[in-house]
Amino acid sequence: MSSIGDQIRAQLPYNRRGAASLALLIFAMVLTLSAFAEVGLARDGRLPLGLPLYGGGLAVLAFAAYFVQAKFAPYADPVLLPLAVALNGIGLAMIYRLDLDTSRGKQAALSSGKAFEDAADAPGQLMWTFVGIALFVAAVLIMRDTNRSDAPLSFTPKTAQRYTYLIGLGAIILLLLPVVPGVGREINGAKVWIAIGGFSVQPGEFAKLLLVVFFAGYLVNKRQAMSLIGKKIGPISLPRARDLGPIMVIWIFCLGVLFIQKDLGTALLYFGLFVSMLYIATQRVSWVMIGIGLLAVGIFVATLLPFMGHVNQRISIWQHPEPYFDGGCMMASGKVEPVNPNTAIFKKNQIILEQKAKQYESQGNAARAKNTRAIAPGWYACTNELKGKYADSAQLMHGLFALGQGGVLGTGLGQGKPWIIPLSFSDFIFDSLGEELGLTGLMVLLLIYALIVQRGMKTAVAARDPFLKLFAGGVSFVLALQVFVIVGGVTKLIPLTGLTTPFLSQGGSSLMANWILIAILVRMSHDARKPAPQAIQDEGMTQIVSTR
Amino acid sequence: MNMDKPIRRVAIFGLLLFFGLMAQVNYVQGSEAESLRTDPLNTRRFSEVFNNPRGQITADGQVLVKSFPTGKSNPKYGRTYKDGLLYSPITGYFNGGASKVEMAYNSLLGGTDKRITHQRWFDTFIGKKPEGADLELTLNTAAQETAYRRLKAQTSQGRRGGVAVIDIRTGAVQVLASFPSFDPNEVAPQTGLTGGKRLEALDAQTGVIKPLIDNAMSQTFPPGSSFKIVTSAIAMDGGAINSQSQVSTGQLVLPESNKALPNSHDTGQCGGTATLRGAFAESCNTTFGKLALEMGIDKLNAGATKFGFNRKFEIEPDVQPAESDVPVEYFDPATKKKIRTGRDGTARSGIGQENVRATPLQMAMVAAATANKGKIMKPYLVERARAKDQSELYRARAQEYAQAMKADTADQLADMMRAVVTEGTGKSLAQYGIAGKTGTAEQGEGNPNARWFVGFAPMEKPRYAFAVVTEGPESGGANAGPIAGEVMRQVLKK
Repeated sequence: MSSIGDQIRAQLPYNRRGAASLALLIFAMVLTLSAFAEVGLARDGRLPLGLPLYGGGLAVLAFAAYFVQAKFAPYADPVLLPLAVALNGIGLAMIYRLDLDTSRGKQAALSSGKAFEDAADAPGQLMWTFVGIALFVAAVLIMRDTNRSDAPLSFTPKTAQRYTYLIGLGAIILLLLPVVPGVGREINGAKVWIAIGGFSVQPGEFAKLLLVVFFAGYLVNKRQAMSLIGKKIGPISLPRARDLGPIMVIWIFCLGVLFIQKDLGTALLYFGLFVSMLYIATQRVSWVMIGIGLLAVGIFVATLLPFMGHVNQRISIWQHPEPYFDGGCMMASGKVEPVNPNTAIFKKNQIILEQKAKQYESQGNAARAKNTRAIAPGWYACTNELKGKYADSAQLMHGLFALGQGGVLGTGLGQGKPWIIPLSFSDFIFDSLGEELGLTGLMVLLLIYALIVQRGMKTAVAARDPFLKLFAGGVSFVLALQVFVIVGGVTKLIPLTGLTTPFLSQGGSSLMANWILIAILVRMSHDARKPAPQAIQDEGMTQIVSTR
Repeated sequence: MNMDKPIRRVAIFGLLLFFGLMAQVNYVQGSEAESLRTDPLNTRRFSEVFNNPRGQITADGQVLVKSFPTGKSNPKYGRTYKDGLLYSPITGYFNGGASKVEMAYNSLLGGTDKRITHQRWFDTFIGKKPEGADLELTLNTAAQETAYRRLKAQTSQGRRGGVAVIDIRTGAVQVLASFPSFDPNEVAPQTGLTGGKRLEALDAQTGVIKPLIDNAMSQTFPPGSSFKIVTSAIAMDGGAINSQSQVSTGQLVLPESNKALPNSHDTGQCGGTATLRGAFAESCNTTFGKLALEMGIDKLNAGATKFGFNRKFEIEPDVQPAESDVPVEYFDPATKKKIRTGRDGTARSGIGQENVRATPLQMAMVAAATANKGKIMKPYLVERARAKDQSELYRARAQEYAQAMKADTADQLADMMRAVVTEGTGKSLAQYGIAGKTGTAEQGEGNPNARWFVGFAPMEKPRYAFAVVTEGPESGGANAGPIAGEVMRQVLKK
């Protein structure tokens, strides 16, 4: 009885699919260039000035990546690269389109001396695309000697297995960096950034990949023990503490860091990754059950902890976003009181704050007056007068309104008003695309993601080495889960948590990490799909020497 | 141990996640899209509206409201109102936000309505914007003009007046005029910020003059003696009396204060006893105060509710006329408590004073009931909507609003209203061929009277019901009556 992997391998063509890959890549480029052209034609009635730079730049990068793949990983899955290029290109076109409409506000803010970080930045995104694809090329080149993991300058996925614990440590350090004073930066309330040079980097994006390696390396060693040895209580078999211990420690550590960083989306992502890889390694449904139980306990505890009140509120916003629009206040009773600028309580507290500011001014305390004026009256009314917890659902609601505006066919690129959504170029880029490309466009995007994930899973099944199987399965699933958490959040399927939308969101860290992810899958699919090594000693038929 | 099986299961789970997302996106962008687009919190509703021409609003074949290209990028289209002062009580204004018919039919005028987009799905497919539909009002433009001109001439300086005329068989509104009015051209999209400020200024006006609130259906006045139609109807519907019954018209001492309820005159029919018809024609207050006292405030309230008092209705989608009231209890601002209308108050309520308030439209509906066997048809403003290709998208349907009283009671009341003009307080109006009830309501210290004439025309075989109110000195018969006569002359010309 052969396994599914054997069956798939038996049917693999072991062909180089270079022509198919090239054709798909050309299609992806046509798609991207058309998107750019449409932005210009719809907005200004002429081809955009940025078309040669952005479209041309992306085309050069994509074909460079293709030639490296064709030369050094010829048996690789032919659709992975074109799909990633298509996503990256559509995202870049959207950011370019948003940049055109937000740049005026940005310039006004800069000229008046204010910081204006929240803006679409197309040149920056093009640069990060360049860096991302360069990393893809580098990764494919470095990982080329799969069979000789000791070859100089080679670091194949298989090599990583040797450094399991070191990589685990690396993941923890990356996760911790943003909370280290002096290194970390807080943007939009989430402490997930570090400042390197003039750039903000999200180390969590890279920690994600390192954690997959760590889980894979650890589980591949322990899986036999974990799935076979252990006490059985009823239908559930419990693992030995020493098998479970280290992995629980790192898991609790991750969650702890993430709760402190207030980045629930990432916590959910790592948790799902952990449970799914545990399941792949041990085939034990009981593990999944234990995991879901832990998650339920975690969420329950989080809702009870006073400083974790925003978990409750996130759920409350998800259920009823309307009262939170432009500011809502959750009272101890669970009732939500709107404190938006139209309410009497807002106006009242606005006056109170202004009076206080004037009072400080008359006392000659200009700095304090300025600080008082900077306080949002809605927040002030909520925390002081109502003694509740303040939140604002305007982002989510504006995102949903954008989706509604788009409808089935969308307004067309360049013809909607996606910039109304706060963070329209990062967290909410999916809603921005939904407005202009419509339901039709979003279905295409989701299908592209689903295809990448399924191709990754196929690579995992086709891989021969257990570590590589877990590795490929892990990175594929983490991609699926990330898309689910962020897209589910911005479409109100699940409570909204901040995560980047792979390849679409503006941001260098996310692009770089995801291009490395594609490089890993490309390399592994090449290894899985290439013909098995031929026996060298072909000695022909045994000669029969006549004895006569 | 092989990992292929769990990997495949995780892959299927991953696919299920994507199916979940696809289902949600379909739900949001497919079935929820319309309600998201019209969500009151959605500011996008107003951002697109200046980029396309809106449909026209016409009446009697005249174009009253239309869009025109401004030649600028924002707004791309402006809107002009012909004789805005005359028609704004019906058309309302449009400046992104809207009121009255402009608001009620916003989606049809703007071309975003499903009835248009479904029909023109191919246009959306090729990116052509659907065009707004044109509306036809039920209005009689000549009569509307007469009404506004006469209101302007007859209303005291700084005071208000309103006229409502409806077709008794369909409920179609023929005239809905208000003075003072405002010109929607001043706040139309092309006026930009100036218009926005002007609208805020209009909205912020305090005192009795609130131009944005029309005096024909959105403002209430004490109906005074014209409310005796309702009091009579309730009493006669009870079956105890009819128009020929002898009733006391002499002095009435109010039970609580021991003060007399005054009559305007104590001669003629109001001298002691008369038939109900006679008392009605000469508008003897004491008779109707007594009738109200006998039936009590609860019955008066319940009876008036049958005419449309104490409740709201939508004359067009999202457009509600102000609620007319015969309150059983009222809010006392001094003690901040609700106080039940007492016996004195009940007597005064019976003659349309105390806290009784009515819109001209409501009083026209009362008159319509008397002229139409007790039946009131639901008033409406828009006759039909046509797409740009002239296909009909909407057509008004006559609907029964209420059976306010028995047909027999209505016939007797109609006869009593004719008597007002032939032998009572409205004798001076005989030349106009209309029947009705006069009313001169006091509005408290420092305020002029609310002068009413409520009735129907023609006198025999009535077709239209009307109500006119103006504020000023003198009486309803002398002031409001001639306005009603001239307006109805215009209405009947058609």
